[in-house]
Amino acid sequence: MIPRSRWTAVMATAAMASLLVAACGTSSSPSGGGSQTTLRIWDFSAEQVNFHKDVGAQFTKEHPDIKIEWRSITQADYMKTLPLAFQSNQAPDMFYWNATGLSQLLDQKWISPLSPGGTVPADFVKRWPDGSFLEGINMQDGKTYGFPFSENLYWGSGYMFLNKQVFQQAGLDVNNPPKTWTDLKNACAQIKAKTKAECIAAPTKGPDMQRIWYAMISSVSTDEFFDYKTGKFDLTEPGQVKTFAFIQELKKAGYLAPGTNDKNFSRQQFAADQAGIFFDGTWLPSVWASQGFTSDKYVVAPRVNPDSGQTGAAGRKYDTNKYWVSSQTKHPDAMWTFIQWMTDPNGYFVKQYYKSAFGTLAYVDNQKMVTDPALRQIMEIGGKPGYRVQLPVPLLKCPDIAKSKAYVNALSKSPDGEWEAMGEALTSGQPLETVGAAIVKQRQTALEEGLKQEAASGLKVSMDCYTFPDWEYTKDFTSDMYRN
Amino acid sequence: MTTTAPAPGRERVTDRDRSPAKRVPERADHSRERVRGIERVWLLVFLAPFLLLYLGFTIWPLIATIYYSFFDWSGVGPIDHFVGGGNYGTILADPLFWLSVVNTLVFALLTTVIKLPISLLAAILLTRKWLRGKRFFRTMFFAPLIIPVAMAGLVFTYLLNPSNGALNAILRDLGLVDQGFDVFANRWSALVVLVLVSIWQIFGQYMIYWIAALQNVPEEVYEAAAIDGAGEWKKLTRITLPMIRPVAVIITLLGLVNAMHVFGLVVTLTAGGPGTSTYVVSYFIYQNAFGSVPFAYGYASAAALLFSVIAFVLVSAQGLAVRRAQRLRKEYGV
Repeated sequence: MIPRSRWTAVMATAAMASLLVAACGTSSSPSGGGSQTTLRIWDFSAEQVNFHKDVGAQFTKEHPDIKIEWRSITQADYMKTLPLAFQSNQAPDMFYWNATGLSQLLDQKWISPLSPGGTVPADFVKRWPDGSFLEGINMQDGKTYGFPFSENLYWGSGYMFLNKQVFQQAGLDVNNPPKTWTDLKNACAQIKAKTKAECIAAPTKGPDMQRIWYAMISSVSTDEFFDYKTGKFDLTEPGQVKTFAFIQELKKAGYLAPGTNDKNFSRQQFAADQAGIFFDGTWLPSVWASQGFTSDKYVVAPRVNPDSGQTGAAGRKYDTNKYWVSSQTKHPDAMWTFIQWMTDPNGYFVKQYYKSAFGTLAYVDNQKMVTDPALRQIMEIGGKPGYRVQLPVPLLKCPDIAKSKAYVNALSKSPDGEWEAMGEALTSGQPLETVGAAIVKQRQTALEEGLKQEAASGLKVSMDCYTFPDWEYTKDFTSDMYRN
Repeated sequence: MTTTAPAPGRERVTDRDRSPAKRVPERADHSRERVRGIERVWLLVFLAPFLLLYLGFTIWPLIATIYYSFFDWSGVGPIDHFVGGGNYGTILADPLFWLSVVNTLVFALLTTVIKLPISLLAAILLTRKWLRGKRFFRTMFFAPLIIPVAMAGLVFTYLLNPSNGALNAILRDLGLVDQGFDVFANRWSALVVLVLVSIWQIFGQYMIYWIAALQNVPEEVYEAAAIDGAGEWKKLTRITLPMIRPVAVIITLLGLVNAMHVFGLVVTLTAGGPGTSTYVVSYFIYQNAFGSVPFAYGYASAAALLFSVIAFVLVSAQGLAVRRAQRLRKEYGV
């Protein structure tokens, strides 16, 4: 029989050992087992989960030593999960990120070059149109870190979707969509009078308000709360105030579906024939298709212009880099193999991507590949001159902007400030000029003071880098214009 | 009614046999006995899991929060930009923080003032001997508590939607309203909804607390009162309520502190809106900590600490009441 004291000591040791095991966790076996490498890819395209499984399986079929684990997280959670994953050294091998640009990602030490050697071969670059790889945008010191994924001519917000059934019930013709603000109000009056449906399913909860906002403001100004012509945060500028007043007018008239709804609710409302009009972007056909609402039930039309005519356009950016190779990847060779595979213009990834009508890729001949009727309508609309224009890029004017944090910092305080101001103005009926003044002042002061401090520390940055007085809102700011 | 004589068959007078005023607190202070030898090892073995978790999930985050609050840190990279009290200065001048504090306190007070009386009422009813189906009612009242907050928020978002929500549909069908009323379009109506949904969900938990307190009231006191001719109302007001008062103070304290942590319902029901008008402190901290990249961990940590101080002051103010309640609890033996 074991003496009492020894038995106690044995038990104590066992207990401590089990605690240590519990605290340290169990070590996992090499990913995938055997000699197979597992690549973890993260994004927030929930509607593409099956597509990701399919392309992952096909890639493994062609490259048996590499397994793909593609994980989609809802967008709101993703923006928090990914930074935390990096912080805890659990980042994936490749990740989707468009919230910040190359310089910030390098500064955060999140990314590594696409290829293990840093440079990419010419035949890889040739997959994209000329000028797609730019220093500061996706290249740094000769190394290539990113590649344009979605093209930027058609891809974006600011399209109007019309529900065929609701329009038919209202006696309206979807092929003759509203073109002006007055047309829109008249169509809404008819929908309200002749159907049980709402006119516009407009989400207004937080940043989801961007659906209707970008569709309306893009005909008046060309901005994302910042005016590159004047170098000012512009929420309270006359064009913005006028546009928002029109949205308030629509609400007051009962033409916006009631409630402070989010985008999912409003999308469902439209898909359930409970609303006649919905504003959103290029991605919507695939989202609706995944929910069983097919493109034969709606048409896509251009956004509506003020009665006085179009004075702005939707903004196109060079920076359409979406997928980045993580600095924490342990498999750079396998990652590079996968990137080459997924960007093959004639490859399986591209064919399946277009088959599911997920959008328009930057390295593919879209005119040839797109067959989905809704996407073709979007391409026809977005391709018209002046519908979407290239925005000026401060980085191309002042290379030191790559090291500047002033603009990012100006946006980081009260990140949803503009949407919150608009939400408040919409529900209270107050003018946007009054409600939005505080956030505009806060951002402008932060940007100007931040740039001054950075200039004092030796960076060649100033408000001039963010000001392009010669730019016309409805025309592309082309690369040759930076030389003037 | 009360006696100090030994009950028949009992060898000594117990504390229960004395009147509350004459009861003497027991002095069983075993905690001060020194633990020796192998007992110390056992003590450590049994305390270790708790201590590890406590250190890891309470003390360390607390120290880290205090430390981060003095830095401008995004949560990524080295913590090297010391700003001293800068974060605190900015927060004290931030109207959104103060709006969040006011909303949190309004929410905490309203939920506590409403949920405690009605859950007490339900508990009193459910402890009546004549009531049938007690288990069924307890389960029904307790059920909302097991629904995840996020799910509850989503369900009510749909129920209250002015376009096709069930509540507005009923009101319209009854002819009470012409068109749907958007309860989330106004600060006060949105706050009231937050309060009511919170009460609906947490009601069962407080009802259980009250039932536990009520069951601690000695049955013989009621029997004696009945012999003296006391009715139900007198029993409630002269016996039940005074005797559960000490516990009531603690339940109130719990109710207030729990309500100050409101977060999930705000995220799912209002997202702080309309505008920022229903921001509460937890949501303010979350938005600053994770709302955009780069994160503002330092700023959020300072906000968390500042609110903790405010909450601590409020809770401490109840300290005297709680101590008095505990003393009374010992005297009454509940």
